[in-house]
Amino acid sequence: MKKQNNGFKIGCIVLFLGLTIYYLFPTLQWNLEQRHMASMTESERIQYENENLAKLQSLRERSLSLGLDLQGGMYVTLEVGTPQLILELAGDFADDYLEDVIRTAADISFEQNTNFVDEFVDEFERRDPDAMLSRYYRSDAANITRRSTNSEIASYLREQQTAAVERAIEIIRSRVDRFGVTEPGILQQGNNRIVVELPGVDDEERVRDLLRGTARLEFRLTPETDEINNVKQQFTNYFSQLEEEADSLNENGETKNLLEIFDLRGPTQYSFGYAAARDTAEVNRILQQEEVQSLIPGNMSLLWSANSFAQDNGFELYEKIAVRSQIELTGDVISEARVAFDPNTNAPEVSMTMDSDGGRRWARITGANIGRPVAIVLDQRVYSYPTVRSQINNGRSSISGIGGVREAEDLVNILMSGALPAPLEIIEERTVGASLGEASIRAGLYSVMFGLGVVAIFMIVYYRTGGGIADIALMLNIIFILGILAGFQATLTLPGIAGIVLTIGMAVDANVLIFDRIREELRGGKTLRAAIDNGYANAMSAIIDANVTTFFVAVILYSFGVGPIKGFAVTLMAGIVASLFSAIVITRVIVDYLTREKTSVVSFG
Amino acid sequence: MRWFETPNFDFIKAHNIAYFFSGGLIVISLVAIFTMGLNYGIDFRGGQEFVFEFDRPVDVVELRSELQEPLGTVPEIKLFGSDREILLRIDTEEDITQTRQTLLANFENIYPGSTVTVQKTDLVGPRFAEDLRRGAFYSIIFALAVVFIYIFIRFKGWYFSAGAIAALAHDVLIVLGIFTIMGELAPFDVSIDQAIIAAFLTIVGYSLNDTVVVFDRIRENSIIYKTMNFTDMINKSLNDTLSRTVVTSVTTLFVVSVLFIFGGEVLKGFAFALVLGVILGTYSSLFVASALVVELQKRAMKAKP
Repeated sequence: MKKQNNGFKIGCIVLFLGLTIYYLFPTLQWNLEQRHMASMTESERIQYENENLAKLQSLRERSLSLGLDLQGGMYVTLEVGTPQLILELAGDFADDYLEDVIRTAADISFEQNTNFVDEFVDEFERRDPDAMLSRYYRSDAANITRRSTNSEIASYLREQQTAAVERAIEIIRSRVDRFGVTEPGILQQGNNRIVVELPGVDDEERVRDLLRGTARLEFRLTPETDEINNVKQQFTNYFSQLEEEADSLNENGETKNLLEIFDLRGPTQYSFGYAAARDTAEVNRILQQEEVQSLIPGNMSLLWSANSFAQDNGFELYEKIAVRSQIELTGDVISEARVAFDPNTNAPEVSMTMDSDGGRRWARITGANIGRPVAIVLDQRVYSYPTVRSQINNGRSSISGIGGVREAEDLVNILMSGALPAPLEIIEERTVGASLGEASIRAGLYSVMFGLGVVAIFMIVYYRTGGGIADIALMLNIIFILGILAGFQATLTLPGIAGIVLTIGMAVDANVLIFDRIREELRGGKTLRAAIDNGYANAMSAIIDANVTTFFVAVILYSFGVGPIKGFAVTLMAGIVASLFSAIVITRVIVDYLTREKTSVVSFG
Repeated sequence: MRWFETPNFDFIKAHNIAYFFSGGLIVISLVAIFTMGLNYGIDFRGGQEFVFEFDRPVDVVELRSELQEPLGTVPEIKLFGSDREILLRIDTEEDITQTRQTLLANFENIYPGSTVTVQKTDLVGPRFAEDLRRGAFYSIIFALAVVFIYIFIRFKGWYFSAGAIAALAHDVLIVLGIFTIMGELAPFDVSIDQAIIAAFLTIVGYSLNDTVVVFDRIRENSIIYKTMNFTDMINKSLNDTLSRTVVTSVTTLFVVSVLFIFGGEVLKGFAFALVLGVILGTYSSLFVASALVVELQKRAMKAKP
């Protein structure tokens, strides 16, 4: 009976070991390949990679992947601006009242951690139970008419919200793919968040722009220079008057006089003024003030230039450009975009082709504005404002004033991936440099080795043969953990390694419980074999209870934690399962084998 | 080797000293937390955090004062492992690209000709930070609730649950207190972030391990020694399991110390919380949890007519 039982146990051990090796094998191969490739020259490596593309790819996919904190890279959480989306869906029906409802609902949904659309509908009905959402929302496609009920519109808005997030994910995936990142991770989190993981990326700024760019391309006309100068004059008057009054008022150290940081003598006649990069936020703040806003006519907008035009004391200077508020043409009409070079200056630019409808409108706009500039605005920043020389009939246009070829490529990427349905905000961003990642891997490895060494020696000193057996189980335990991680395609993070180290210390606990119990039974006068049987049997309930509770805690950690912390929870869970198996089953088989003769002696210290 | 082979300590009798000691620590912790406030890290406070590596040793005090003017606020700066690496934390609404440029430009002013590499950047928006805070809070409450229910079911007595939970709360509270008091003084980052919450939950799991093993022995002994009074039985159970408690604590303390020493700068705070947790967890399961069970059980008995 007992023999059979052990046969089953041995079968289990062999099966688990086999599975572990099966799952860990690609990782081993992948490491060898990488080492092999590192010894090659650049050209050899590229050739080798091309020849073995499929094989390398499959190896990489199946091998145990390292978290961004270990291999370096960028982790970004984006939030889809649902309130903005709901406002924009109302289109021309939107008014101040709707905006106010949306703002309140956004606050409530944040406070209570609930879905924004639900809160919006609730708030709308709370303010006026009889009000109809159909006043604001129509859609032919979704069959939303003047007679649609509030609940019909609510579900329409929810669909739109889901669709917007899905579309945003698609667009981001296409942008990231064009950018060229190996193994990017893009997934939805909650109902309006998107997590983007980009291993090996170190050009954060570029990625940031790439992810955030809503690709809202606009063509706008510019005001007459007289009009601009007129407003400038009013600015000068307003702020010099403020200056006179300010001496007594200006105690809180805030800049009151815009003109100290914002120079109205811009480089061209259409620029409204310029400021150093570090002052742009302050300039925006002052321009937002009501009294200042009232100086600017409704049909004029002041937008920042996309690129700096000069440097001053190491600070980049940016100009505010006066454009018309009305948008003549949007990027929807762009059918193709590519990088081109200005034949005269050889500067990179993006050349765009419009569809037939856009081409017709473009011809009309250019025809009516010969000799005047048209501003090309992308995401609220003016790239260039070339003067129209003649009517353009072929639907072509280009964006010049671009910093470099890379930026031009990114722009093409953004334009071709399509416009985001709603603005995305970066709410979390973490980057780890490759060298810190390497240092972390090294630190993790040392910790595992030292931890293992110290515990293994202690166990042998304290429990003699028993300790040695526990050590074998401990080694297998670590291999099992890695196998489980690889098998479930989990990612190994630095906290994950910490989890493994911790498991080393706690994994011996089950054996300590068992061996102490065996010692106790021996003290009670039992034979070695009876003591072993009783020791294993009596220690079981404590082992189970202790591990089940710890496992619960790990599950909770997994469901609430994000990023690397999830990795910690996963290794903790894997560690509990593996250590239970190795401490109870593997040591038992070894102990039984060593005590198979009646006369055999195994020391438990 | 054998430790505590047949010990016979009176743990329950020592509980007055333990209560005094634990009570003192808890009061100090609470006072520290309420007067100084929890030292939230970037995850729970929001803001921007950078790790820079310089090619030469830097002076943290000098950097702090030199950066105050251009940043418009005093940044939190701490050495990060060596005297050439710093951890810089700043609360700002500015774009992270902008902050980074401002910082690098100013480093060039302060240490002309030095090369600075950015090792790590973290940006957490204020709303996201609040979400993380909420998540952390719920995860701890949830963990304690699950533990309470599980122990209640397995050991059939609310006083076992209450004793275990009190011991866990005791451990977490004191670690929080130590982290708060150490604040700026510690030579490594001891701010409370997600990793520390993970450490807390691990402490909860670990401390629970110890407690559950003792409770299990109490359950077993209460069947074998039916006539023994409750206090003596608990004392016997504590002594029976003492050797195991000490051995497991020693091995776990070994590994968390290894993690603290060799685990690298990123894990320092996390490993430190674990070291404290293992020590406190062992202490509380020996002196606090069981003593509370005895106390609660006695009161429950008295309450019954």
